[in-house]
Amino acid sequence: MSDEKKVEAPKPPPPAGPPAPPPPKNPGFVTFVVDGKEVVAKPGTNMIDAAKSVGVDIPYYCYHPRLSVAANCRMCMVESSAAPPGKLVPACQTGITEGAVIKTDTDKVRAQQKMVMEFLLLNHPVDCSICDQAGECKLQDYYMKYDFEPSRLEGAKILRNKRKKLNDLVVLDQERCVLCTRCVRFMKEVAKAPQLGIFGRGSHEVVDISPAYGKLESNYAGNIVDICPVGALLNTDFRFRARAWFLSAAPSVCTGCSRGCNIYADYMGQDTYRFRPRENDAINQSWMCDGGRLSYKSLNKHRVLQSGVGRGGDVKDITRADALKLAVEKLQAMTGKVAFLASPVASNEDLLAGLAFARDVLKVKVIYAGGRPDGQADNFLITADKNPNRKGLEAIAKGFGLELKPFAELTRGIDAGSVKGLFALGAEVPEAEETFAARAQKLELFITTATNESKVTAAAHLTLAASVHVEDEGSFTQGDGTTQRFRRAYPPRGDSQPHWKWAVDLARALGLEMKAASSREIFKQLAPTVPELATFEWDKKAPMNQKRPGISSLPAGADGRPPGWREQGVPSIRGLTLPQGT
Amino acid sequence: MAAAGDEYDPTPSEDELEAHLQTRNMVVNLGPSHPATHGTVRLKIELDGETIVKMDTEIGFLHRGFQKSCENVTWTQVLPYTDRLDYVAALHNNFGYLTAVETLMGVEIPERAKYIRVIGAELHRIASHLTTAGALSLELGGFGAFLYAIEARELITDRVTELTGARLTTSYGRIGGVNRDLPEGWADKVLKSLVKIEELAAEVDGLLTRNRIFTDRTRGTGVITKEDALDFGFTGPCLRACGVSYDIRKAKPYWVYDKLDFTVPVGVNGDNFDRYYMRVLEIRESIKMIRQCLAEMPQGPVMVDDWRIALPPKENVYNSIEGVIAHFKLVMEGVPVPPGECYASTESANGELGWYLRSDGSGRPYKIHVRAPGFQLLSGLARMCEGRMLADMIPTFDTINMIGGEVEQ
Repeated sequence: MSDEKKVEAPKPPPPAGPPAPPPPKNPGFVTFVVDGKEVVAKPGTNMIDAAKSVGVDIPYYCYHPRLSVAANCRMCMVESSAAPPGKLVPACQTGITEGAVIKTDTDKVRAQQKMVMEFLLLNHPVDCSICDQAGECKLQDYYMKYDFEPSRLEGAKILRNKRKKLNDLVVLDQERCVLCTRCVRFMKEVAKAPQLGIFGRGSHEVVDISPAYGKLESNYAGNIVDICPVGALLNTDFRFRARAWFLSAAPSVCTGCSRGCNIYADYMGQDTYRFRPRENDAINQSWMCDGGRLSYKSLNKHRVLQSGVGRGGDVKDITRADALKLAVEKLQAMTGKVAFLASPVASNEDLLAGLAFARDVLKVKVIYAGGRPDGQADNFLITADKNPNRKGLEAIAKGFGLELKPFAELTRGIDAGSVKGLFALGAEVPEAEETFAARAQKLELFITTATNESKVTAAAHLTLAASVHVEDEGSFTQGDGTTQRFRRAYPPRGDSQPHWKWAVDLARALGLEMKAASSREIFKQLAPTVPELATFEWDKKAPMNQKRPGISSLPAGADGRPPGWREQGVPSIRGLTLPQGT
Repeated sequence: MAAAGDEYDPTPSEDELEAHLQTRNMVVNLGPSHPATHGTVRLKIELDGETIVKMDTEIGFLHRGFQKSCENVTWTQVLPYTDRLDYVAALHNNFGYLTAVETLMGVEIPERAKYIRVIGAELHRIASHLTTAGALSLELGGFGAFLYAIEARELITDRVTELTGARLTTSYGRIGGVNRDLPEGWADKVLKSLVKIEELAAEVDGLLTRNRIFTDRTRGTGVITKEDALDFGFTGPCLRACGVSYDIRKAKPYWVYDKLDFTVPVGVNGDNFDRYYMRVLEIRESIKMIRQCLAEMPQGPVMVDDWRIALPPKENVYNSIEGVIAHFKLVMEGVPVPPGECYASTESANGELGWYLRSDGSGRPYKIHVRAPGFQLLSGLARMCEGRMLADMIPTFDTINMIGGEVEQ
């Protein structure tokens, strides 16, 4: 490898003096040739990215478009006419030159790729069958593409630490590591917490945590698992829980705070297994915080899957139809005396339907803002507002001519006895749950739609089971005012249905003409009165349900899907009831 | 009615005598579940007396969505589906499919694998031809020849079972060769069986070929002209019976057919007898070929040595990362077939078994279309039967040897 380092040595000038550089073929751009295809790229474009734009895949491990160039994996070596004769150059590090001819498919390049792969696999443990990365591993992909030779190793492989706990979320398997240093560079350059490094020499080199730190201290450590091209860095939360090729991915938005990081929700059947960041240059680049990463758990655990009637320990499960009947009776008995609390955790569609219901059926003029309490912000992705859709709530309330009042006024009203009945769309409250639950005891009527069980739902007379955002199509308007669409992963679990559906059902039962069979129809009907949402192209802005990277070939029906079913389209899932009207 | 007082005259008038019997054509349903329609096919036959006026062939009772199913599985996993095409001679389908995939990939399989494929294919050609001859005899009332034919076929089935592990659903061979070599002592067993099969085939030949009843029923019935046969797309023994010498093993040799000494029998009349006799002669040629193959077959590998195609040996899978990766990728993603399309065909027992394959570069077929020889033969059945006697329809249906599995897929 030391030979190739010399590539960067300056070329001795030819005796006749340096020839004049050719005038650029496309002024303002660099034009060169990769494998016979002409590439026109902006100056400073990385050669790997430029080649990709014309469909030439140059393999790489250490290169990452959002990190500095290390050029240490030597997998992207190509032949270039601008390089010293007989030398290969690393595509990730070599600048693009006007008129250069790049070849990525010559015998020499192939031999280099084979050698690199052989060295990388030399001490790699035989772990695919127990490795989480299997199916989305670059070692596997490149081995089949560039190496495909048997092992020539004689004797034993070098053993290293297989379970080095970096922190509660990330565990390092040093044996599987290919020393690409992506994690080291990420921690230094993106997370601004330079706590990882390469230690040792030669075959004994390992990635390890700097001795100054006992464990990785960063809210972004989970990202090094994503960028690890092999299975060396593993997410302890996801580890051993699902094989990657059985998971489907729904493009979605993180609901952990008002940043609105783009994510993939990886799911199987009706369970979400992990959140992964999805590329979005404007918002989260390729990253997300650890808190958001783990927020998928609330989609699976402690869900309100059945509507319940009764308070405290005296809760009785009732069906959706019975709950609706009961809610209608109770609301009719208290017409005009019910306050409305809206949670900014719910989507725009939920809030559009909910606020229309509040205005036209409950006849309120004022609504109160619920939602999760504020938390800590940082200077990267995490914001203080832990609700994904506060801007949406504000816009819709304004558009509907409703006055949005802070939560404190509601509590004051309850304490003073001026608020006797409360309908809550979403059971999230910005104060301690116990405090609000105690307050709610004073209410003569407290109905809430809720996704997750909490002390608040325990205090409600009637809890209506609501679905979470990955169970329906919809949109959020995040902190900076951007509206983003998310896609449905699977139908609502249990007997739950979306907040908007509860609002529509109740409105209809109480005599209001409301025709909407899907969140899309809700948006089309109600958004035009909200200036912030009126111009949002709900259909066009939906992220494409695209094929997941790695193995997308699904064994027929392995997770309850019919054979041949892919990520596209609305699933008619065997054994699962599709919600009515969607 | 005669008027009162008139005497009844029993003598018919002249008009009445000359009047024709008022008859209507009768429509008869044959199948889909009729003992003579081996395989499920429905024949709607319009009869004038015993003459077939019009015949309509209706298929679809054995349709399984073969071509669509293939798009959901890897290239290798298609193999068991091919068993169910021509289930009387499954090895033809197995090897034909694999040959087509190898053509698309540009892979040359080892010499020994080619010989094994010829042996397997020819064994099943004999089995298929014996079934045709035997069933034909049975339906013309000759039970003895059927028993001899089936006894011989059973010997082949036993040898095929030893080779592949299954009587019918062989799933033998893999992309890049065959999945296992010949079992120990198998060659000798085959040679012994061939002697017995020769005897039994000669018995069938002796019972039928010069049998007066048999020849009366088969000569001149179910005739199709050379031109019509070509127009309908006939291939295989049914085309050769019309006098067209077309056999893919000769026209476009594959595997090791160019190294073997064999002749392709060609008929004259294109009738049932010729179609039957082609098969009797082809059985002899096939036996000859198998003997040549067993004598000339080289030692060596039966699978290409390329881990992108062949599964690595188990000891490598368990003990080396290279092996486990190759195994994982081949099983989970399938053999990577380069993007492109191809048509490749082999000579199956009934004719040209063609495969149109299209790959998008993933491990799964983008499209598979099968040109099964039986479909064209069945299409021509009405032409061979219309205007002929109903009783001759049955032997005609026999000699085209329609197999529901490949016709309907």
